[in-house]
Amino acid sequence: MHTSSKLTKEFTKKWVKGLQICCSSKKDMDVLERKKKIKLCADIALASAKNATTSWSIALISEAKKNDENEILVDNLLGPESRFKQQKIIRQMNSCHKRVRSKKILKKSCSISQRMKKMGPPKSNLAAYIAKRLVKKRTQVLQRLVPGGESMDEFSLIKEALDYILSLRVQVDVMRNLANATEVLNQSNSSNVFD
Amino acid sequence: MEKREETCTELFQFGEESEFQSLMSVVPPPETGNSFTALLELPPNQAVMLLHSPEETAPDNFTSPEFLETPNSILPNSSPNNFSLVKQEPVDSDSVHNSSPNMSDPVISKSTKRKERGKNVKSAAKKSKSVANETDGDKLPYVHVRARRGQATDSHSIAERARREKINARMKLLQELVPGCSKITGTAMVLDEIINHVQSLQRQVESGSLMDGNGNFTGMVSPPLSNQIWQPDGLTPQPLWGVEEMNPNFITPENSLLSYDSSRSSVSLHTNQLKMEL
Repeated sequence: MHTSSKLTKEFTKKWVKGLQICCSSKKDMDVLERKKKIKLCADIALASAKNATTSWSIALISEAKKNDENEILVDNLLGPESRFKQQKIIRQMNSCHKRVRSKKILKKSCSISQRMKKMGPPKSNLAAYIAKRLVKKRTQVLQRLVPGGESMDEFSLIKEALDYILSLRVQVDVMRNLANATEVLNQSNSSNVFD
Repeated sequence: MEKREETCTELFQFGEESEFQSLMSVVPPPETGNSFTALLELPPNQAVMLLHSPEETAPDNFTSPEFLETPNSILPNSSPNNFSLVKQEPVDSDSVHNSSPNMSDPVISKSTKRKERGKNVKSAAKKSKSVANETDGDKLPYVHVRARRGQATDSHSIAERARREKINARMKLLQELVPGCSKITGTAMVLDEIINHVQSLQRQVESGSLMDGNGNFTGMVSPPLSNQIWQPDGLTPQPLWGVEEMNPNFITPENSLLSYDSSRSSVSLHTNQLKMEL
C-alpha cells in the first residue's frame, strides 16, 4: 500500500533513532527490560510519526512523558520542529484529564437516573434495548483499548480506532521485517562461519 | 480486499483536518437535501475516484474549487498525516452531486459543528436547525435536513438520525478495514471483531518487540500469528527461532540492545516469565 509506505518509513526512522538513544544510555539489561524499551521506543516512534495529528498519538505521547526517564527519549524523537506540537500535547493532556473526570461524573449521574426509570423501556422494545446495551459495552471495551479513548465520544472513537489499527499494522510489519532480516543475516553469517 | 483497503487508506491520506475545518466554516449553506443521507452511503471507492477527478465537478459553489484544490495540494505533504478519514466522505460526495452543489455544505458544516462544539451545544445546534429550516438557506451556515417520507419530523429525531447515519458510515469503513467483518451484520458483532483485531495487533506488537530483543532463544514462545487473517506484506508468518546476535554491519548501534548475552543461565526462567506475561 503506497500510502502507508510513507508512514512506514517515518516510523522506521524514528524507531531506529529511538533505539540508538536507548542503548546508548544503558548496557546489559535483561530480556524483559529490553523488550519493554523496544516496545516503548516503537510506540513513541509510531505516535510521533503521526506528528501528533491524531488524538490517540497525543495520548500515547503524553502518557510516555509522564514517566520522567522517558522524557529525553520523547523529546529527541519528537524532534526539534515540534516545539509547537509539544505545547499542543500538553494542552491536550490537561484538557483530557478534565474531560475524563467530568465524563465520569456525568456517566455516574446518568446511570443512576437511568436505573430510576429503567423499568419502562425494557418491556416495550426488548431487542433494541439489548442491542443497545451490547453496543455500549463494546464501545467501552474499545475505549479502553485505544489509547486516550476514555475522553472521546463514540463518533470520534471509531475514527481513532481506524487510525490506530492502520498504524498498529505498520508497526507490526516493521518489527517483523526487522526480526526476519536479523534471522536471515544470522543464518548467512553462521553459514559463512562454517565455510 | 486489498483494493478496498487501498482505497480506504487513500481516503485517509488526504487532508489536514484543521484546514478542512477552516474551509468548511466559511462555506455558505445550501438548500435542503433528500440526498443528505444518500451522501453518507456513498461507498469509499467512489468517493476516492471523485477526489481524483476534481475537474468534473462544476464549480457552482465558489468554495468547491477551493475544496478541490486543497486535497491536491495536501497530497504531497500527506506523508505523516495519512489519516484524516472522516472529512473525506462528505467532501468527496460533495463533488458528486453537482446538481445540488450546495449539499456539500450542510454535511460539512454539520460535521464541523459536531467536531468543534460537542454534546453541550448539541441542543443549540438542533434548535438552530429547526429555525433555519424555515429561513432562506443562502446566508446562514446551518444545516437543512428535510425529513424523509414516513419519518418523524421532530428536529431531535432528525439530528439523531443524521448522527446515526454518520456513525453507520464510519462503521462501514471499519468493516472494510478489518478482515472478515464485511459479512457480519449488526454493530455489536462488528465492534466485537474490531476489538479482537486491535487486541491481536497489540499482542503481536508485544511479541514482535520480544522477538527483536531476544537472542539465542530456541525455546522461545511463538507469537500468536495463527489467528490473523490479514497477512503482512510479503512476510511468511513463521516464528523466528534462534535469532542470534545481529550482524554488525546491519545497524551497528543496535548491537548492544538487540543482541542477547547467551551466557546467561536463567534462560528458561525468563521464558516462563514471558509466557505468563504474554
